[in-house]
Amino acid sequence: MTWIVKNLWLIPILPVLAGGFGAVARQRNRVFAASLAIGSMVLSFLLSLVAMAHVYSLTGQGTAAREVFNFRWFEFGNEWVSLGWVLDPLTAVMLVMVTFVGTLIFIYSLGYMAHDENFTRFFCFLSLFAGAMLGVVIANSLLLLFMCWELVGLTSYLLIGFWYQKPSAAAAAKKAFITTRIGDLPFLLGVVWLYAQSGTLLFYNGGSGAIEHSALTALVAQTTSSGMAVSTAIALLIFCGAVGKSGQVPLHVWLPDAMEGPTPVSALIHAATMVAAGVFLVARVYPLMSASPSPVVSGVVATAITATTALKVVAWIGAITAVFAASIAVAQNDIKRILAYSTVSQLGYMMLGLGVGGVAVGIFHLITHAFFKSLLFMGAGSVIHGCHEQQDIRRMGGLRKWMPVTFAAYSVGMLALCGFPLFFSGFWSKDEILHSAHGWSVSQIPFYLGIVGALLTAFYMTRQMFYVFFGESRLASASHSTTPPNAPNDTPHESPSVMTMPLVILAACSVLLGIIGTPAWNAFHAFLQGERIAVDFARFGENGILPVMLASSLVVFFGLALGWWLYGRKPIYSADQPDALAALHSQLFGVLENKFFVDEIYQATIIRFNGWAASASNWLDRRVWSGGVQLVSQSVLGLSWFNRFVDANVVNAGFDAGCSSATRGARLLSHLQNGRVQNYLRVLGVALVVFVLFLIWGSKG
Amino acid sequence: MTGTSYRELLLLALPQTVVVLAGLIALALDLSLFRNSTNRVRFSAGAAIACAGSLAAGCCILLSQTHGAIQTFQNGMLLSNPLTHLIQIALLLLAVLTILLSIDSTFTDHIGEYILLILLATAGMMFLVSTEDLLLIFVSLELLSLCLYVLTGFNKHSVHSAEAALKYFLFGGMSAAFLLFGFSYLYGLSGSTNLVRIAAATEGSVMDPLLMVAIVMTVTGFGFKVAAVPFHLWSPDAYEGAPAPAAAFIASASKVASFFIFAQVMVLGFAGTAGNAGWNVRAPGWAPLVAVVAALSLVLGNVAALAQKSVKRLLAYSAIAHAGYMLLAIVSHTQQSIAALLYYVLTYALTTIGAFGVVAVVEHQTGGDKLSDFAGLSRRAPLPSMCMLVFLLSLAGIPPLAGFFGKFYLFSAALAGTTASLSLLWLVILAVAMSAVSLYYYLQVLKRIYVEQPPADAAPIQISILSQIVLCLIAAIIILLGCAPNLLLRLIQNALNAIIA
Repeated sequence: MTWIVKNLWLIPILPVLAGGFGAVARQRNRVFAASLAIGSMVLSFLLSLVAMAHVYSLTGQGTAAREVFNFRWFEFGNEWVSLGWVLDPLTAVMLVMVTFVGTLIFIYSLGYMAHDENFTRFFCFLSLFAGAMLGVVIANSLLLLFMCWELVGLTSYLLIGFWYQKPSAAAAAKKAFITTRIGDLPFLLGVVWLYAQSGTLLFYNGGSGAIEHSALTALVAQTTSSGMAVSTAIALLIFCGAVGKSGQVPLHVWLPDAMEGPTPVSALIHAATMVAAGVFLVARVYPLMSASPSPVVSGVVATAITATTALKVVAWIGAITAVFAASIAVAQNDIKRILAYSTVSQLGYMMLGLGVGGVAVGIFHLITHAFFKSLLFMGAGSVIHGCHEQQDIRRMGGLRKWMPVTFAAYSVGMLALCGFPLFFSGFWSKDEILHSAHGWSVSQIPFYLGIVGALLTAFYMTRQMFYVFFGESRLASASHSTTPPNAPNDTPHESPSVMTMPLVILAACSVLLGIIGTPAWNAFHAFLQGERIAVDFARFGENGILPVMLASSLVVFFGLALGWWLYGRKPIYSADQPDALAALHSQLFGVLENKFFVDEIYQATIIRFNGWAASASNWLDRRVWSGGVQLVSQSVLGLSWFNRFVDANVVNAGFDAGCSSATRGARLLSHLQNGRVQNYLRVLGVALVVFVLFLIWGSKG
Repeated sequence: MTGTSYRELLLLALPQTVVVLAGLIALALDLSLFRNSTNRVRFSAGAAIACAGSLAAGCCILLSQTHGAIQTFQNGMLLSNPLTHLIQIALLLLAVLTILLSIDSTFTDHIGEYILLILLATAGMMFLVSTEDLLLIFVSLELLSLCLYVLTGFNKHSVHSAEAALKYFLFGGMSAAFLLFGFSYLYGLSGSTNLVRIAAATEGSVMDPLLMVAIVMTVTGFGFKVAAVPFHLWSPDAYEGAPAPAAAFIASASKVASFFIFAQVMVLGFAGTAGNAGWNVRAPGWAPLVAVVAALSLVLGNVAALAQKSVKRLLAYSAIAHAGYMLLAIVSHTQQSIAALLYYVLTYALTTIGAFGVVAVVEHQTGGDKLSDFAGLSRRAPLPSMCMLVFLLSLAGIPPLAGFFGKFYLFSAALAGTTASLSLLWLVILAVAMSAVSLYYYLQVLKRIYVEQPPADAAPIQISILSQIVLCLIAAIIILLGCAPNLLLRLIQNALNAIIA
């Protein structure tokens, strides 16, 4: 076992330690906290590169190179609870992505949070988050993964509510925490069930792990009372956790609200890493998801994935989420909310990719999305920063002139997100998903949903671009209506280079990453599967690749053109001007603007029911149970009153009569407790005798 | 007696010899070289010598472990095996911690003597844990006890200290007399002073009244050492009157050694006369007797602690309660429960030493150890307050601290006893209920520290860096052993397996 496998734990521990030291640092030690956090992330990044190189040197053998390190944590009855970590291509790719994007966002935060008085706390939380996320990535035990998963949830809560003085931020933090917990409960049940069935929570353990062949065969063979295979049931329970964390329908409601947090948080947690943890979880337990009764010959890489029940659910949820969220994004006016719904929609694509095409398809989109979405968020942060905390796109406009670097980078991110053909990474990753969906054996509907989603994506991003960067600046008109005027510099300004440099780097990555995932040279796919990496242009000609590419390109062009027709043709002149889409069909726009009323539905059903149950419990507690308690306590009181009466009038009277004075009685009492050693020794002697008698009595009886 | 190899004897007793030598050197240097130095310098020098001596003794132990795993001299007169090594190293560590925590104290000018006494007591304990012979047990127990009596009365400026020492001495003397009396009966019954032979000779003769008396006397003697009810009466007075570091030493290191030898004598020496304390399978023997003592300690220790105003007295009653928990393991006396006992007593000793360290800091600054003196401590001394939080929560058995796993293993070992399963359920239920009670008084202290406002004229408390480091170190070990209990438990189990095999 090589050094890097043994010491893989260093990668998450370094940021955690940085967070710990940051937590005890004084508030004014800004440089210390920031340099500690960034330094630890850079170190983790370098270690991740080493890990990546190590895995890369082992690829090409046909199966994924996988090394694990397991150890026993503590004994529990006759069982050992084991933890461990695993290094395989999936881990390596995720490690590099998280640490690289994380490092850039940490640097970006230096500029963005420069004026915040809780700068130190921010970096402490951020490092803690990074450590927990990296822990999720390397975990080889479902238990360790779950613990880090919860830590991730906690830090996300802390960071969304970072500006806890704002009631909306505090509420959003609470909402995020509770909503994801709803998903985590079935996840925990799945974990416990898996442990009960297979006796281990290690993923890989030299053939005896929970998602290795022998355990899976046993799981598939058993059925639940409803006739479902146990493996499917557990997989679905675990998927619930992923639904909560990755904001899939119906638990997507927290993610847009989470935009109340600082923008670097949105970029790191709610675009690039944490929300991707759900997708990653599905990828990690993929053997469990795809376990089917028919014997799978190991070693043969199945190009057509067997559509198991679990995978069907994943694919359907993903497809529905993709379109659902994209349609809501069309009618939002907050720059970060648009991106948030877009994130939900893209996460849906990833789930769809996992469901129909396997690990590599979904994870490739995860990686490319992490780059361009964090780019977009950081661009949005730069815009907000430049516009004096203005987030409403109707009150921006014309920023192209003031912020050229941000504009250029943002355009790259936007085109990548839309999937603009050939030159942007988003095109290749999305195209792979669509192609897999096209070839899915179960149904063609997810494919068409994906196409519609792509159209909507291109449309709402074009809308946003025109609102924010083109036309005339509408910022001045805002100042008299909503925000007080910032007198000295009312004009937008470009952000400092500490913020724009990460943007440029990410923009470059957003373009270049596409190269490793084209059909001709599908290096990413091959790397994850452990195959040899080869160039094969003939693959363009294979079943339906070119038509699908063509179709998705056309859809993107159509979406862009539609956006231009509605929003770009005539420049937007006033912030209060009604939306062009609203002018066409105001009712539909209203529904979309109110996010299909999902929040309201939840408010009216689940939350109201919960409130009703709480007040019913309250009533029961106060009237019924409390009545019982009162009854008991009253009777005790009565008894004690009676006691006192007897004490005062019978016992005390007799006692007083017996003792010549009260002082003598008190002396008698204190005599027993006065700490006199003679008494102590007397007790010793008495105890001796009593114990001997006790033993003799015991042996007689 | 021919054939006695003095070389072998010296080799086996080398660690103890080194410790005693270190103490004598510390005394000699203190009286000669450092005669005119300040107390602080004298204490630092003495502590350095003591640490060096303990380190050297520890190295001796580790080296002898590499020679041969199990050695015995004169049929168990002196032993050397992995278990004794483990306990001896733990005792050395506790002694070093005690000395390090007392460097700042100002209760005495007789620093050389103080360090010598602690090291002599340590040597006594090291002998105590490495023998199976009644004579050596008694002699080393007396060496330990005499040192502790003197340490209790070491604060000559305080009347309480002298009073406590006298009480401790009188009570201890009486108990020692009982113990010796019991031992003499044992010798009379078996014709041997070796525990294993005594067990062979008394096997199955539990009805013998002489043996019963011997059992009661032995339990009395050791019950005094571990402060179990009704032999506990000395401990609240002694803890309160003694200087805090001395109290810490009595509560930690001496507890480890006493519990070890108590278990050893009961399990080895009375192997055939245990009886059974189970509610459904009662059988006469020492187990029911110890069970009664345990139950009394649990109830009285925890309940009496509720009413205390002095933190040292509170810790004394909590020590009585903890003795009750640990006696549970002796009652069930399986290999698993002995492992649990050792884990418990070692982590408990560390925790107590830390708690007394914090008490010493407060006492040094405010001149008292009343609960009210702790008010608002978290604002005046954040780091020691944090450590106190860890110590008290560990004593209360809150995960993920070492105290939780100690209780967990202890209770599960008691439940998994040898004969009828769950026969000790009544005692375990009592212990769990009582540990819930204990949370109240531990939280009382923490409430004073964290919730209440400090007195208006309170200044931040000055604590030396060394004390802070030692306290933090202890707290870190407790957290570590709580998160990874296996680190210590595996050592104990390996050692137990080695002697049984």
